[in-house]
Amino acid sequence: MKDKKQTVKDNLDIFDFTSDIAVNIKSLNLYYGNFQALKEVSMELKKNEITAMIGPSGCGKSTLLKTLNRMNDLVDGCRIEGSITIGEKDIYAKDIDLSALRKNVGMVFQKPNPFPMSVYDNVAFAPRTFGIRKKAELDEIVETSLKRASIWDELKDRLNKSALGLSGGQQQRLCIARSLAAQPKILLMDEPTSALDPISTGKIEELMSELVKDLTIVIVTHNMQQATRIADRTAFFYLGELVEFADTQTLFTCPADKRTENYITGRFG
Amino acid sequence: MADIKNMADINNMNVAAAPTLKSRRRGSKSKMKEVTAKIIFIVCALFSIVAVLGITGYILYGSVPALREVGVFNFLFGTLWSPEYGKYGILPMIVNSVIVTFGAAVIGGTVGVFTAVFLSYWCPEKFHLEYKGKNKAAARVAALINKINLRAVFDQVIKLLAGIPSIIYGLFGLEVLVPFLANMNSAGIGQGILACSILLSVMIIPTVASLSKNAIEAVPQSYYEGALALGNTKAQAVFRAVVPAARSGIVSSLILGIGRAMGEAMAVIWISGNRTLFPTGLFSYIRTLTTNIVMEMGYATDIHRSALIATGLVLLIFILIITLSLNLVPKDFKGKRGVKKLTSSCNSDVKYLRKGKVSEGLKIFAAICAALVAICLAAVVIYIVINGIANFSFDFFFSKQQIDTPTFAPAFFATLELIAISLVIALPIGIGAAIYLHEYAKPDSRPVKIIRTFIDTLSGIPSIVFGLFGNIVFARLLGGSSVLAGALTMTLVVLPTVIRSTEESLHAVPMTLREASYGLGANKVRTIFKVVLPSAFPGIATASILSIGRILGESAALVFTMGTTLTFTGNPAERGSSFTVLLYYCANEGLYMGQAYMLALILLIFSLLLNLAVYAIQKRVKKSH
Ligand SMILES: Nc1ncnc2c1ncn2[C@@H]1O[C@H](COP(=O)(O)OP(=O)(O)O)[C@@H](O)[C@H]1O
Ligand SMILES: [Mg+2]
Repeated sequence: MKDKKQTVKDNLDIFDFTSDIAVNIKSLNLYYGNFQALKEVSMELKKNEITAMIGPSGCGKSTLLKTLNRMNDLVDGCRIEGSITIGEKDIYAKDIDLSALRKNVGMVFQKPNPFPMSVYDNVAFAPRTFGIRKKAELDEIVETSLKRASIWDELKDRLNKSALGLSGGQQQRLCIARSLAAQPKILLMDEPTSALDPISTGKIEELMSELVKDLTIVIVTHNMQQATRIADRTAFFYLGELVEFADTQTLFTCPADKRTENYITGRFG
Repeated sequence: MADIKNMADINNMNVAAAPTLKSRRRGSKSKMKEVTAKIIFIVCALFSIVAVLGITGYILYGSVPALREVGVFNFLFGTLWSPEYGKYGILPMIVNSVIVTFGAAVIGGTVGVFTAVFLSYWCPEKFHLEYKGKNKAAARVAALINKINLRAVFDQVIKLLAGIPSIIYGLFGLEVLVPFLANMNSAGIGQGILACSILLSVMIIPTVASLSKNAIEAVPQSYYEGALALGNTKAQAVFRAVVPAARSGIVSSLILGIGRAMGEAMAVIWISGNRTLFPTGLFSYIRTLTTNIVMEMGYATDIHRSALIATGLVLLIFILIITLSLNLVPKDFKGKRGVKKLTSSCNSDVKYLRKGKVSEGLKIFAAICAALVAICLAAVVIYIVINGIANFSFDFFFSKQQIDTPTFAPAFFATLELIAISLVIALPIGIGAAIYLHEYAKPDSRPVKIIRTFIDTLSGIPSIVFGLFGNIVFARLLGGSSVLAGALTMTLVVLPTVIRSTEESLHAVPMTLREASYGLGANKVRTIFKVVLPSAFPGIATASILSIGRILGESAALVFTMGTTLTFTGNPAERGSSFTVLLYYCANEGLYMGQAYMLALILLIFSLLLNLAVYAIQKRVKKSH
């Protein structure tokens, strides 16, 4: 944007993250066919914070997460009402560039899903998508991204080996590095540690605390301890409704809503 | 290009600064690419429709002169076929084709279905031989046998049987089956209805057995267990509950087998006897629709030629009816009938006798059928191997090509070029079509259903009809038979195979990989080419190998498109004989039987190798999952 020759269309930085609010969700209703999965959800996600989403299975956490990078577009019969603005832009506007959106809003999935290619090619995937071809540039991005995902030391000698040979925890951190290589401003993580062992989980939590210094993280988790450990603020969902959204400390120590209390004290099972 | 990313934040971190991510992607350009790609994929998918309509249209068009001259009624119901006298009645050939097909369906269908039952329920995966003697060699043999997975062996037996080229079956029929049958009847005639029916039976067994097996194995385990729980023996449960529940799949497999038998030309060309009369018994010379075309197409002109094309039209109509009738097989009676039958049969057994002798008998019959299938394969393979080796001649392989003696080299190069050109055209189109069907179109939407019906139809069209089409379109367009004309024809033949196996492999690519790619901002085209297709590579490799097998074994579609010649310059625009066509040439007049056997052995070895390759790929895929 500093360069005037750059046309608007070429620009991937269509979002303006200068304000304090990274994501603003207003009266969001989401339907899968006739089934309403999200009901009147409104929330503001702050920049450089980790926001955790908790709630029983099927309450719509993943669904909400996927509206933020429009992965729901892939689902047939999925319909949305309300608005979501990210970096001052309505991401459901007609002229939104999906690629640019997803470049800026990265996603890490529940099960590690590295592509069946080398470690290097996995990480270089997004940069290549966006036209970077020079070996030197790619090398640098790959190294930086792997370092940011704290997995560089483990993988630097096997960059050309298949990513499928890594352990589950390594695969997940590789997937994080792969997302980071797109240089996103927001990172969506859907139960990123639920398929991992405790040690890998710890590493990823550490990593998130480091990463949040320069981006915004939204994490869905089943694990309430995890939310208390890492999240600045936590949202509790129940049957498609946002029941409560507060400081993590507040939400877990003195919840305002009975349903939240029941959930965090384990009565929902 | 502009620097559009401010990475100041990252600079604060203790790791090296990331270079900036520059966009060299123009929004409108990438949009254009997306749209262009989609259009290309749609065109690929529509290709099958164009092919089917084109083939039907041209065959129809080529038939018009004869039908007009002779009259449709006289053509269909005339009993005399005598081109010298301008008589073109094909009723005897229609009758012969129907009878022979019926015979094959009865014999081959029965053996195929029962083989499938045996393989699904009784074929042991492992042997448990115990050898207590002292002989070490015998003990080792026993241990070795115990290692064999009989079910896997049978799967390969069926695949190999399916992979043997028609022309080799023809050679086997001519040299083994016909003399054998001739010994059995007083007239000493081996050719005719029985010979054709038997040979065609063997050829449809793989189709019937493998599809029936799929159907049987798709029956929920609960049916089987439910029947056992009601006191049925294993054999009763299988034959009274499972098989009836698999009925629609079995019927479909039989229909496909019937189509295959009706359209087969080269396997029966030497064993039908070639007389255009009604049959008078199991052993009387006959001519079928397909053989009528092959016998005379080489020299026919004008009305005669048109009458042969019209014969192809009649054959095509039969096949279209057979293929379309597949859609009439109700899919939903699968489960219900099976259950109903099961419960009603249990309630009606008021006397509670210990029954089940019939089922036990059927079980033994099933085992015999499976053994028969293995014997058929062994017989053909052993016969060809022995004769191929016995007739080995150094000259055939290494002497320079001559216009009057068949040699290896010209056929080898013609075959190579044929395969290469066909694949270069068929793979992109087929893969494109599969991508459209699997990645773009809504499953089960109307356009998809229509396209699929056309792909199925294309795959059901007999080789000889492809050959006719190639002859009247490609060969004429290119100024005569040539390797190129053959390759264009083969493109159409293998297209359905390519589409299907590519689609299967696309289906096997986990959705999560696509999501990950989209999640990284990649668009659809990039996702398909960088993530989906590379992951689907084993399937595409399999598609190529299956296509190579099909091209290598094809003869009827090539005889009138490539040309039968003993020399080849290497220029694909000129005539050349593939291995199969050369084999046809060698054995057709019985002049070069030695070379015919060597060629048969070569073809057999290649089809074995291709089978092995597919097996290896599938094994690797299984391991990596
Ligand atoms: N693709 C879909 N089609 C229809 N219903 C869906 C789909 N995905 C999720 N749902 C339904 O939406 C609800 C919320 O699902 P999800 O967001 O996955 O819940 P969570 O992640 O909180 O466990 C569930 O009832 C689920 O069955
Ligand atoms: Mg979820």
